[in-house]
Amino acid sequence: MLDEFPETLVSIEWHSPSFTPGGSDFDLPSEYSQRGGMYGVGGIPHTQWNGVVESVGGYPNGNWSPMYNAFIQTYNGMVGDDTPYEIEINGMITETEVSYDVFVTMDADMSSTNQKVDIFVVEDNIWSYWTGASSYHDARNVARNWVVTETLSISLSGETETFSGTFDLSDAWVSDNVKIIAIVQNYGNPKQIYQVNQININDMNPDIDDDGILNGEDNCVDVYNPDQLDIDSDQIGNMCDPCNDLVYVLGNTNGDLNQNGDPVIDIFDLFTLTDFIHQESLNECSENVMNVNGDNHINILDVIELMQNLLNSD
Amino acid sequence: MKKILLLLAISLPFAQRMDPIDLAIDELRTIVETASRSSQKVFVEDFTGLN
Repeated sequence: MLDEFPETLVSIEWHSPSFTPGGSDFDLPSEYSQRGGMYGVGGIPHTQWNGVVESVGGYPNGNWSPMYNAFIQTYNGMVGDDTPYEIEINGMITETEVSYDVFVTMDADMSSTNQKVDIFVVEDNIWSYWTGASSYHDARNVARNWVVTETLSISLSGETETFSGTFDLSDAWVSDNVKIIAIVQNYGNPKQIYQVNQININDMNPDIDDDGILNGEDNCVDVYNPDQLDIDSDQIGNMCDPCNDLVYVLGNTNGDLNQNGDPVIDIFDLFTLTDFIHQESLNECSENVMNVNGDNHINILDVIELMQNLLNSD
Repeated sequence: MKKILLLLAISLPFAQRMDPIDLAIDELRTIVETASRSSQKVFVEDFTGLN
């Protein structure tokens, strides 16, 4: 199934410390215990699908064939469902260290209560001799490192949160087969996994826009801007910063300037503000400067505040 | 005079109402937003070991 659905099915193998290939380093005892404890894992083999559907037994010695019909039904019942989350993973390799950035983006609102982001490292296709079964076995996506569990704080459509970090590449791993997996999971009940994604570390692109500036230092990661110009010094390059902070100052909702190039706050800003409250369809730069009274809500109170400011001005 | 002009300016825009076009656009926005929702991928965790 992993080869059948490479884009939409992601797996990890947690190996029981009691049943690993002779002389291998497959097991992560404390991680196995912690992860298994989340699901009440007892007997193995045990599969846990998106954290909420379990299947125990049925495929001794890693032979999944008899379970295909059951697993495909579970998979089909989950894949393609609506979810508020999208996950992208990128990073770069420097000698024996991998630095990563996991971007979680929301396209619908959902509470962040109990929502966590887990980041795992796995090694795929480890061909190993299993003494217990007297046979060779292609171990898929073996857990190598549970890098971190982070708290997800975003909850609104359009928001993005980035989780960055590093981990070491072991000499014992075949680096071409190493992947990073990131998930969004509810740590309350049920332990629903709302999204997952993975990337082979060789597929990471340290300079997405190919402008010679590495992603981590680029003030406009997705757009080619080798000059890195940033006219308003807000750390967002001009090429991807439609809102010039020197123009869109608080109250200048229509972004107009006088002959000297200074922002003008006048009655026309009131019109723009009231139009927004009616239609909520103006540009994002205007929205940033409409919260005149500072209560994080744009409404009639901001109109009153702005009107009072204008009446009190010269 | 300045205050009267300001009050008049404020009252006019608020006197507007949503017309059928606004409602249609809102409906279209809802449809587009729903259609573009992210698709769930599947994560299977295999607790295993040969015996």
